[in-house]
Amino acid sequence: MKYYNHICRQLARDAGHLGGVPLWLAFRCLPSLLLCALLLLLSTAPARAMLEEGSGEPDINGVESGQLLLLDQAGGSVTPALMHASKVHFDISGMIATASVEQSFRNDTDRALEGVYAFPLPDNAAVRYLEMVIGERRIVGKVREKAVAKKIYQAAKKAGKKASLVEQQRPNLFTNRIANIGPGEEITVRMEYVQEVSFDTGTFSLRFPMTIMPRYMPGEPVSRPGDPEDVEALMLAVNPYLGWAVPTDQVSDADAISPLLHPSPGSERTPLNPIEITAQLDMGMPLANVESPYHDIALARRAGVYDIRLASGVSEMDRDFVLSWRVVIGATPAAALFTQEVGGEHFGLLMVVPPTPDRAPAPVIPREIVFVVDTSGSMGGVSIEQARASVSRALQQLRPEDYFNIIEFNSVHRALYRQPMPATRHHVQGALDFVRKLHASGGTEMLSALQAALARPRRAADEFREQALLRQVIFITDGAVGNEAALFEEISARLGSSRLFTVGIGSAPNSWFMRKAAQAGRGTHTHIGDLNEVGRKMSELFDQLAHPASVNLSIDWPGLVEAWPQRVPDLYQGQPLLVAVNFGTASPRGEVMISGEINAQVWSVRLQLGSGADPATTTGHRGVASLWARHKIAGLLDEKLAGRDEAAVRADVLPVALQHQLLSPYTSFVAVEEVVSRPQGEALDSKPVLNTRPRGQRPQGYAYPRTATTGPAKAWFGGLLLFLGLMLRVLRQGEVDHVPVNQS
Amino acid sequence: MSRSISLRNWRDVLVLCLLLAGMHQIAGAGLIKAKAWLAPLLIEGAWHKTLLSGGAAVKPWPWADTWPVARLRAPAQEVDLLVLAGDSGNALAFGPGHTRASAPLGSTGLAVIGGHRDTHFAFLQQLQTGDVLQLQLPSGELRPYRVQASRVVDAGLETLPATGDSEQLLLVTCYPFDALRAGGPLRYTVSAVPEPFYTDTAEQRSSSAGIYAL
Repeated sequence: MKYYNHICRQLARDAGHLGGVPLWLAFRCLPSLLLCALLLLLSTAPARAMLEEGSGEPDINGVESGQLLLLDQAGGSVTPALMHASKVHFDISGMIATASVEQSFRNDTDRALEGVYAFPLPDNAAVRYLEMVIGERRIVGKVREKAVAKKIYQAAKKAGKKASLVEQQRPNLFTNRIANIGPGEEITVRMEYVQEVSFDTGTFSLRFPMTIMPRYMPGEPVSRPGDPEDVEALMLAVNPYLGWAVPTDQVSDADAISPLLHPSPGSERTPLNPIEITAQLDMGMPLANVESPYHDIALARRAGVYDIRLASGVSEMDRDFVLSWRVVIGATPAAALFTQEVGGEHFGLLMVVPPTPDRAPAPVIPREIVFVVDTSGSMGGVSIEQARASVSRALQQLRPEDYFNIIEFNSVHRALYRQPMPATRHHVQGALDFVRKLHASGGTEMLSALQAALARPRRAADEFREQALLRQVIFITDGAVGNEAALFEEISARLGSSRLFTVGIGSAPNSWFMRKAAQAGRGTHTHIGDLNEVGRKMSELFDQLAHPASVNLSIDWPGLVEAWPQRVPDLYQGQPLLVAVNFGTASPRGEVMISGEINAQVWSVRLQLGSGADPATTTGHRGVASLWARHKIAGLLDEKLAGRDEAAVRADVLPVALQHQLLSPYTSFVAVEEVVSRPQGEALDSKPVLNTRPRGQRPQGYAYPRTATTGPAKAWFGGLLLFLGLMLRVLRQGEVDHVPVNQS
Repeated sequence: MSRSISLRNWRDVLVLCLLLAGMHQIAGAGLIKAKAWLAPLLIEGAWHKTLLSGGAAVKPWPWADTWPVARLRAPAQEVDLLVLAGDSGNALAFGPGHTRASAPLGSTGLAVIGGHRDTHFAFLQQLQTGDVLQLQLPSGELRPYRVQASRVVDAGLETLPATGDSEQLLLVTCYPFDALRAGGPLRYTVSAVPEPFYTDTAEQRSSSAGIYAL
């Protein structure tokens, strides 16, 4: 106590020397506190230096960081049990492409295996044929109701028969299960699908996805304690699709849509999943150019038909294959109808290109553009660079009278400005800085970001603007999420007068999400797969944003027909109108009139049916009937999104899918060989067929847990505050002591 | 005179505020430690019931959002912990948690257990290569593991691999151990592989015994 008093007196005297307490605080107390803080900081610095060494290590060894490689004794990497190779051939005639996809699975082990392969297909593919090829034998598959097909497959698997079950998990994501592949055997599954070629601003194109970007599964795992069976399932990973994800309350089929990936990235020379791609292109008119932006192709022409194949023969399945072509100028018809007769019924596919309006300058409508940028972990690698470049390019195309904002999202979302800002040079510069600092990590909580982007602007009528702003949301993402349906619902529910445009990023974007989200958002979708494409694609998008759309489209059919989609959407510049139609048993006759409005000008196009004179209306186009059925199924499923009862939708979809032998969410293809090839009693292992990681994407995994508490910081800070408090108290005591000393 | 009184009052209030705020912070730190120390006593009961029932998940208290899934022992460090389901913040406050996205404990693949560096997993810094870890599964089965490597990773640059074709245990905590700031990007990881001599699949394993390159 004596000692304490002594210190107090010393401190007080010291303060007196310096000319008062405030000065003492400034010159004695503060510097010593700063010194203490500095020392504390220094003590943690060596630890930080150490870890940088640690994280540098894996790169030295040339191994991908954070990844485990199992090497065998000879030093080569362990090969997966099931080898897979694919072959695809496109037969393109006019607007319709028929593709044949062959998947071969070879069992290199010495025991019978069941293979599980999750694979993507174009999201508008009408899968209508399946066969299993075993040596010389061919077994044709049948479309059955999903549960029935599963039962047939399970029975065959149990009995030791070879069987294949192809199910649709998403319109662009399918699973193929092949049972009882004997040791050393190879089984090929051949599928056939029809799709319409897409046409945009004079360019025809076809996109064939080859791998599946690992998707983010929002929500909590569904198994809950209190249900012993479920927990056991969770713990033992009873996971029939062998995926990496567990079902959650928002994505109930997460295991089926999360195929495992090869740990190492693919290579063109020795592909992990090799594919052979060939195409026959017959447009019935000369072509101006043929292009494949992501693959080297070889082209041969004979009698107006183009033969296309990969220049290197095979390629790695780590990115989408895109083929695009243009016909010579003036050869594109403004309207065409492709028809087919199947079983006495006449089907048609109508394509109309709305006229471009006269050169009269469109009125400049003030816009509010909201960019929503996905910065989740799946965007890591080249994708985030493409996203950054896209937003930067778009920012430079803004007009000074536009308003804009940027929202980035991963596990949480964050807006650049609290409210949309005018696109002045100052704000654009700030936004460019913001964009440059974006990096990819974390989850993909898309729902809350969409809600924020589509929320009504809080500001009411503005005294500076008499006209309402045209709200356009540009959504830049790879679409790697598992809860697509919930997002589409949210978009249609909250859209209001906003319009949503999607920009798909990366080598293997979720194309179904891009197209469907844009459809729900009444906008358009664009794909960017390479940094070089950013400039051109963003300019095209901004052209579409700036030009008025064709609205109030209507089609007058002669007589009663069943046309899908039933409600014709608005069309942006360069987009064609595509409608599939069922004329019934009567052969189509008469005249179709298509009319619409652009920029308050009415336009109309007439097309003569059944005359046979016009080559564009000739009959006998293969696949039109399947396309009509596919359009009808898609239309019916959209009704589910709009709130129709699922059971009713299912009852409507089933007959169409069964009659036209199409895959759908409610029907699957199953093929069973009648010969027993695995003796009873012999075990059957299930093995996943691994997908290749999308090209340029960083190794994907899940985030490390957050394992620090705020405890030490709290203790330190609390200690500091107590210390300061005690110091002040000491000073006060010093002053009290000091006064009597002076008086005496 | 009046000046000195007002100054004194002002300073009294400040001192009081500082002391209170300091106490609050220290109490917060104490609460974190207390939770970490107290919770296992409650969870112990739940684990006992799990073992008795042969593997059913039992919540330690009715409103808990997690439940014990394994017991982790490090005999050399005299550490005995109950591993909870999930690695969310509220589970980790009570004990180390098993990351749901990783492989299930005791099965093929990479199983990840995360724990706080300043409470349950502070012992990771003492683990040496070759140390023995024991894991008790809900079925009662005891699985021995041997520490194979430890390294520091940047969680901002890497994610945990979603695939793995051999059984492995990965213990994760934050790094540096004595850093003040929470939420830093660095993680200290200890990987352990099953001890082959004790597993009943020893023969099958030796045929595919391999070298792990990390």
